[in-house]
Amino acid sequence: MSRTWIGRLCWAAVLLGLLVVGLVGSRFVLYLAMRVMLLAIFALGYNLLFGRTGLLSFGHGAFYAGGAYGMALFYLHLNPDPLLGILVGVAVAALLALVIGFFCVRHTEIYFAMLTLAFGMMVFSLIWNLREITGGDDGLVGIGRDPVFGVISIARDGQFYFLVLLCFALTLWVVHRIRSSPFGLILAGIRENHQRSEFAGVAVKRYRLAAFVISGAFAGLSGALGAMLESNTDAFSAHWSHSAEPILVSLIGGIQTFSGPVVGSAVFVVLREVIERYTENWMLWFGLILLVIILGFRGGAMGAIERRLGGGES
Amino acid sequence: MSQPLLSVRGLYKAFGKVVTARDLDIDFHPGQLTSIIGPNGAGKSTLINVLTGALPADQGRILFQGRDITGLPVHQRVQMGLCRSFQVVNVFPGLSVFHNVQIPVLALAGRGRRVLGSLAREQEARRETERILEMVGLADKASQPASALSHGDQRLLEVGIALAARPRLLFLDEPTAGMNPVERREILAGIQRLSRQGVTTFVIVEHDMDIVFSLSDRVIVLHRGDIICDGEPSAVQCDPQVRECYLGEEVL
Repeated sequence: MSRTWIGRLCWAAVLLGLLVVGLVGSRFVLYLAMRVMLLAIFALGYNLLFGRTGLLSFGHGAFYAGGAYGMALFYLHLNPDPLLGILVGVAVAALLALVIGFFCVRHTEIYFAMLTLAFGMMVFSLIWNLREITGGDDGLVGIGRDPVFGVISIARDGQFYFLVLLCFALTLWVVHRIRSSPFGLILAGIRENHQRSEFAGVAVKRYRLAAFVISGAFAGLSGALGAMLESNTDAFSAHWSHSAEPILVSLIGGIQTFSGPVVGSAVFVVLREVIERYTENWMLWFGLILLVIILGFRGGAMGAIERRLGGGES
Repeated sequence: MSQPLLSVRGLYKAFGKVVTARDLDIDFHPGQLTSIIGPNGAGKSTLINVLTGALPADQGRILFQGRDITGLPVHQRVQMGLCRSFQVVNVFPGLSVFHNVQIPVLALAGRGRRVLGSLAREQEARRETERILEMVGLADKASQPASALSHGDQRLLEVGIALAARPRLLFLDEPTAGMNPVERREILAGIQRLSRQGVTTFVIVEHDMDIVFSLSDRVIVLHRGDIICDGEPSAVQCDPQVRECYLGEEVL
């Protein structure tokens, strides 16, 4: 009981800290914090599939892009309402995940990973080549941030920040609920032993697909907010190199923990920002540091901390 | 005799040229503890795999409680009440013993679809899980991870998971494999007790002849995909064909 209370206090402190950052932070700090939260939303959803259900997808960049382009196209052609735009982005991503997932969840392990990679590359090349719709390598530009409900302005970063924070808090809450639900337990069972799950009366493929779509929807939420933050979309957000980000982030933080993807996102974004200042070869140094973290803390940073505190999550 | 729980008609299954089930007709009746025996490669495991849906049948029909289930996927057969345990330990190693049993309980109650509901508030599933853990004697180890259990306890858990699916008909594939004599006696006593309660009908695949002949109401002998003998244990024991191809004189 005490451990759950410590956890809750930690989360309250984190959210409070982010709130304070929103009120007093400089533009740069605000931007960095938003990037961390966006990546954390992406990774929290992704880790429901990866850490919880045991499926490694290399194609979630496609759903991020689905959210970004869905939101952007809706804004540019139909309606500038921001919340509606975000919802459309999430819906597009979820629908895309439903279609792609339908084919992928029939397989596991390397076959599943390769299928998601193939579908992801297809989405990328579609975005790249359909210039008239997606803007090709230029992306879509001129995505504005109209007031929420027509009154609450989110035009400045200092205002938009609170929308991102709200979405981040909402994601934390939903993902936590899913992890401690009957559904979440069955996903863990599928990860541990999918054959036995079937003989326990579980429709394994349907649960896998559900996890796939849920993680795709969170990728879409992250993508829609990302498009609003940058006021443009980037074709490379659908690229497999972007799909690798939530994987790395989850591994850094710990795939078997709830907080892992959040901690991993903070480490990832901040580290990259710092290294980029000193050297152009940031990938080399970044890779080395990742190596140390992943090899040094088996089970990720939060996994190591939880082990030290004793006990763990199921 | 009452309506059979499971009927198999003209079941045929072959792997290349190796026939593991040749036009089998079998009826399993409620409450009748049946053992399936036969030398290695007789087709026992394949029969269980086909009947529970892990492998498709080449030909023939499978009827469960009068309903044709030949083409149904595994999880639907389990939800109808047709379940199995495995020859090798096949549990959810990283989860607690309690969660191992809770998964089939939730799946059977249709509670797994609750995406945002709280697992801690699933009172009914908790009680049912506790009841099953009590039954297989693992209640005091509920919070341990399954991978930390002894081999014998993992076998018990295996049976517990199968029972949690509330099967009407349960196939136990060598339930005592790798157990020590004490554990073996306990689990057999448990099976006999549960069988007499009449909720679940057991079909056991076993190698140990002592077990087969002391426990069963009926024994089916398979040999290269054929049923060569089917009847009460005493009759099977005396059957000349069975003696010849399988049992060997010294057993009797």
